[in-house]
Amino acid sequence: MNSTPTVAVSGIGCLCAAGMNMQACMQSITGNGCAPQPPTRFSSDHAVAYPVFEVPQQYSFGGAARNSDTLLTADFALTATLEALADAGLSRADLQDKRVGVCIGTTVGSAMNNEDFYWQYRQGRHPDMKAVTRFLNSNPAQVIGQEFGLTGPCQTVVNACSSGTDAIGLGSSWVRSGICDIVLAGGADELCRVTYNGFISLMITDESHCKPFDAERKGLNLGEGAAILVLESDDLCRRRQHPRRAVMLGYGSACDAYHLTAPAPDGRGLKAAIATALAACEKSVDDVAFVNAHGTGTPNNDRVESRVLNELLPGVPFLSTKGYTGHTLGAAGAIEAAFTVACLEEGKIPTSAGFANKDRELPAHPVQHETAVSGAVAISQSLAFGGNNAAVIFGKGTH
Amino acid sequence: MRIAVRGIGIAGGFGCGVDQLRQAIVARESAPQYVALKADHQDLEMPVFLCDTTPIEKFISKRALRRVDHYSRMAALGSCLALEDAGRQPQDAQHLAVVVASGYGSTRTTFSFLDSVFSDGDACASPTMFSNSVHNAAAAHISILLNARGPNLTVSQFEMSVSSALFTACRWLQDKHVDAVLFGSVDEYCSVLGYSWQRFFGQAPAAGMQPLELENQSAVAGEGAAFFLLTRDEGDKPPYGYVTDIKFGRAQRSGPEISENSLLILGADGHKTSGIHYARFIPARNQTAVYTPLYGSFPTGSAFDMAIAALSIKESNIFATPKHAGDHSGLNIVRTEQSLDSKQISCLKFGCNGEFGMITLVGA
Repeated sequence: MNSTPTVAVSGIGCLCAAGMNMQACMQSITGNGCAPQPPTRFSSDHAVAYPVFEVPQQYSFGGAARNSDTLLTADFALTATLEALADAGLSRADLQDKRVGVCIGTTVGSAMNNEDFYWQYRQGRHPDMKAVTRFLNSNPAQVIGQEFGLTGPCQTVVNACSSGTDAIGLGSSWVRSGICDIVLAGGADELCRVTYNGFISLMITDESHCKPFDAERKGLNLGEGAAILVLESDDLCRRRQHPRRAVMLGYGSACDAYHLTAPAPDGRGLKAAIATALAACEKSVDDVAFVNAHGTGTPNNDRVESRVLNELLPGVPFLSTKGYTGHTLGAAGAIEAAFTVACLEEGKIPTSAGFANKDRELPAHPVQHETAVSGAVAISQSLAFGGNNAAVIFGKGTH
Repeated sequence: MRIAVRGIGIAGGFGCGVDQLRQAIVARESAPQYVALKADHQDLEMPVFLCDTTPIEKFISKRALRRVDHYSRMAALGSCLALEDAGRQPQDAQHLAVVVASGYGSTRTTFSFLDSVFSDGDACASPTMFSNSVHNAAAAHISILLNARGPNLTVSQFEMSVSSALFTACRWLQDKHVDAVLFGSVDEYCSVLGYSWQRFFGQAPAAGMQPLELENQSAVAGEGAAFFLLTRDEGDKPPYGYVTDIKFGRAQRSGPEISENSLLILGADGHKTSGIHYARFIPARNQTAVYTPLYGSFPTGSAFDMAIAALSIKESNIFATPKHAGDHSGLNIVRTEQSLDSKQISCLKFGCNGEFGMITLVGA
């Protein structure tokens, strides 16, 4: 990567439990937020109804009936894409004469784990194969590419919880290197019983509202949603005379090579990812206005992140937004990147929801109040199963 | 673009390693195993090209492998073989980037996780199976087993997974983001996949896989892993030549642009939904080969074609298409072994919706 800030963020679309579009999400996270509730689309026999951040049931795809031939994840991705394109002032026709790529992160959106189908199969019954065809129709990047007739690079990133951040980082490199004029990059994921049971089995799920970085934190709340960023060559954005919301400056990723589900205690992968991203855009600690941390609320994750932020970015304000959205897995990095851009635009970050009591074991703590921020750039970072770490850096968008 | 291919690690239904792959190519045949399958109250036997991962014990201790499932073992085996073939020691892997393509991910473990829920209730879901069921488990195990701390990426794009993931591996090298990438693919067979095949396609034909009968359904399921050690062009002569181009697209009125000088290796794998696109868009002027009958049908099979292309470049040889692959394609099929001369090799894969990926390799 070179350091030339040529990748504009020209549009954003976002939906999650905090809101059905980007504006509603920002109103929610700078207002009272929302609380997680027991899941409504599925049930479980756990003694505790672990709460989740669900997209409201009145959700509808682009104002129309939901497409039952695809997974909800694909619908979320398309809905966010439509909003992002509208925000970027781009019509479907505008995309046809341009080199447009798609890079989307997901987890559930690429997994064949339909419980009803498999239960019937186990019972020796004759399950409806629609569950399989629905899975085959739902690859998020492919769905977006087909919907808009795009012929550029198309990639679904399945790096677990860093997928959305990685997708934005990779997509930006396609614009920066001149392969694409525009890349639709982001992440999408839906809640399902499989991940719900899985995270509970790992004993990293909170029975109440999650409390990232708090002394009493007990784990995460799952969530769902999608966010898409329109990444565009700055030249094209200028020619269209469209205001850019931000510039995508740097991306770094590195692997802990330590454990399948736990971060390396020394945070080596996260340090390497942040350092690579900063080096890519030739920015220093002094330039960083704030960090949107991964901040899941699990004891391990928050401990490592706090240590790394204290070591690499001492004194830089940081927050976790998972207290507003839950952990949206493959969408998380994208939703948090969208929030990062919006906060950079507004020059302030909201309180880190769920944080009330300082953990004496942690060397750095998130903001406890809405905080004005200065500085030209902001970092959004993700940690993931498999030891993946990724960081993206955005700069202010004013031309 | 000139990305050097320095080592190949491959394991599938034909066996393990480049030598056994070569033996299957030269023999022009490979036999599937038969697995029991219950579908609609019938006991069936289904042909499948299965991968034996026992050879991994040469590289990694049983202790280190004890919680590593079949999906990740195949990928780890491919990785170790690729490093060995490139003359690299596993301890040299610290700065490696790892890029993995998978069409379906870790399906056996995904369904085993559901078994744990169905058998014992939600509260008894297996945490080990859950953490191994994520698509990037293979890439994660590779990085842990080899201590590879570079960037780590898994891509899942069904039949386009290989070309899409290779695209990023090559970009990372071109952008000097990394110096070497362990790139590969992995997909596994599971009983649910076998059942789904029976429901969608019925019994595999007795004649076996005939991918060049492009409008017939003859696919035989397979599994395996194919890995490559890739670097930038370092001015030497890499043993397996270079990746020089990766194209994507969607065949609508026209198909991919194919150079007259290209030997084509088709990813046709006995599925008529994708076979019709080869029938429509492959020019008869180009010499064309297909090797899927040696390893079977699975989403990331095009990495196996890439391995055969790289081997062809190393030996400056075009290998004959396997016996009984079909006679009615109307294409210019390579039926006897011959010299590659100065041809480039393009590995072309169509998905069932007409999307395509084409990977081109050349010699030094």
